[in-house]
Amino acid sequence: MKTQITELFGIRYPLVLSGMSWISVPKMVAAVSNAGGLGILATGPLNPDEVREAVREIRSLTDRPFGANTSLVLPGARDNARALLEERVPVINFALGKGDWLIREAHAYGGKVISTVVNLHQASRAQDQGADAVIATGYEAAGHGSPVTSLVLIPHLVDRLRIPVIAAGGFSDGRGLAAALSLGASAVAMGTRFMTTRESALHGNYKKASLEKDVYDTLYSPRFDGIPCRVVDNRAARRALKSGLNLPAAFFNSRIIAAQLRLPYWKLFFGVLASGWKNARQLAYFANAYKRILVATEQGDTEEGLLPMGQVTGLVHDEPAVAELVERIVREAREVLEDRRAMVS
Amino acid sequence: MKTKITEMFGIEYPILCGAMMWLCKPAFCAAISNAGGMGNVTAGNYETDAAFRDAIRETRKLTKKPFMVNITMLPSVRITAEHHKMYIRVCAEEKVDGIEFSGMPADRAAGMEYIEMLKKAGVKLFHKVGSVRHAVHAEKVGYDGIYAAGIEEGGHPLNDDVTSMVLTPRIAETVKIPVVTVGGIADGRTLAAALALGAEGVMMASRFVATRECPVHENIKQELVKRQEFETVIYGKSIGLQGRGLKTKVLQEVLAIEERGGAFEELLPLLSGLRVKQAWETGDVDYAPLMVGQSIGLIGDIPTCRELLERMAREAREQAEKTQRACAA
Repeated sequence: MKTQITELFGIRYPLVLSGMSWISVPKMVAAVSNAGGLGILATGPLNPDEVREAVREIRSLTDRPFGANTSLVLPGARDNARALLEERVPVINFALGKGDWLIREAHAYGGKVISTVVNLHQASRAQDQGADAVIATGYEAAGHGSPVTSLVLIPHLVDRLRIPVIAAGGFSDGRGLAAALSLGASAVAMGTRFMTTRESALHGNYKKASLEKDVYDTLYSPRFDGIPCRVVDNRAARRALKSGLNLPAAFFNSRIIAAQLRLPYWKLFFGVLASGWKNARQLAYFANAYKRILVATEQGDTEEGLLPMGQVTGLVHDEPAVAELVERIVREAREVLEDRRAMVS
Repeated sequence: MKTKITEMFGIEYPILCGAMMWLCKPAFCAAISNAGGMGNVTAGNYETDAAFRDAIRETRKLTKKPFMVNITMLPSVRITAEHHKMYIRVCAEEKVDGIEFSGMPADRAAGMEYIEMLKKAGVKLFHKVGSVRHAVHAEKVGYDGIYAAGIEEGGHPLNDDVTSMVLTPRIAETVKIPVVTVGGIADGRTLAAALALGAEGVMMASRFVATRECPVHENIKQELVKRQEFETVIYGKSIGLQGRGLKTKVLQEVLAIEERGGAFEELLPLLSGLRVKQAWETGDVDYAPLMVGQSIGLIGDIPTCRELLERMAREAREQAEKTQRACAA
């Protein structure tokens, strides 16, 4: 296939693996890149040494292009971003935060940068900073989606941006890929669909849950981690909807994060406080969500864990190997487009 | 164009107009049907057998092409269960082309004998749903098609909160009868996307408001051109009937009342249908809830219905060719 995104990254198919904490790990990233798409490593739960190690592991598993994501607001995230630049990762994906320095330095070695956005304001800013593409996340997406749905958000952004748009939220199969390209997108990014594949590290309980869950079994609210976010509908999610931010829990959970990032706790604590109350509150939310997502993805607790999941889980009916899935999506998109040609002529 | 919907009705484009109170009356309906789509006569505009029958006959005078009738089976102060039965009887007697039911399923609200009456008269039946289970029910009862309404639609999207991108393929893979995508459609690209997702047609309402023929004040049309996709709000959750409308003073007031747990009686005057009628006529956008969808972000002009439909078909074709080329490479 040939779109602005396949050309930009030098990949075979316009399919991107979203960077999901604990799921988009080196094996998964390499599987998607080897299948012809673009795998994106999630660096959220990693410290800089682990980031370097993960990038090297990916390189040992594939010689195709791949990417890595980084959020620029968490303390320590800048160090992870530095590690990605030093490793000359071909594609860097950032969300939340100011990324102009990152873009400049990535471009210096020929790297490409994608910014994840939920509206035109963020997308235009990313374009002005020099980003090569945006991932636009619609309302139906797992995690932090826009209040606007993909069907409307994608063409709206395509009309107003010069850089290509990667559609995220609501995509899992050839029908979705054909629809996204019809809306003017140059690729789709998928998280929920890739989560339930044979190579995915997601706990078996959740893979099973994702096969059973239907299109209406997710919840969207700012109460999970402080930013409107979509997660699977379960006991933990319902409780979070009622109670909102639990500060004592955040204090406790942030210690786990400090340990994970190998950051001295005082450094994390004061770093967070120094960033201002609004940001500190946001990070406290993140701390709690971090713990709950870990409980979901690694321990497989389908009731007490919080798991970002998109509405498209209702269209996920099997657990194929990544390569098989990618080939199927491509074949199905071509068939759908062939059928549709008769409809529109 | 050629889909199961164009074949079912013998129309040129699989683009149907959705129900709109006070607007979907004979002249506007006929303009859309004459342009090659399917206009809508919204039954709720008429309170008597005679008035409703006259509207159908008047539309027939204005167009030889088929059009849809909408019957909304929701509790209302003005329109009762008796009205619903009268509408169905008149539709059967007048042998209208198709009915878009929304709200309660007609077999439950009116009774199975009414469904049979319509089928005997050759009327095609569609039910507007927001969930898979309602689509399955409609198919079982014998409906001819489904309007799959995503959460982005204006009006009253179902609480299930599912978007068109996901709902259309989910319903299309579940039922055998044709699916029409509702919510988020405004141009040739969104039409092409819906067809890729498995729809056989699309339904639009907000987009049709911003056409020359729509009998609404010019201010309203200009407002839709100006406002963007993030400028709609969901309200009414506290009274058990959520709605999506343009973010305006009146809906912000409604949301504020809901936020502080205000009573139904406080909301009622702000949400009254007659207020909407006045707002459409006077062009005062802040006076009543204007129930438009997120697709307003894709509306940039006020064409005639014919221009709009021709452009959509052309754009869908171009987009389809372009996409196919990209995928074949």
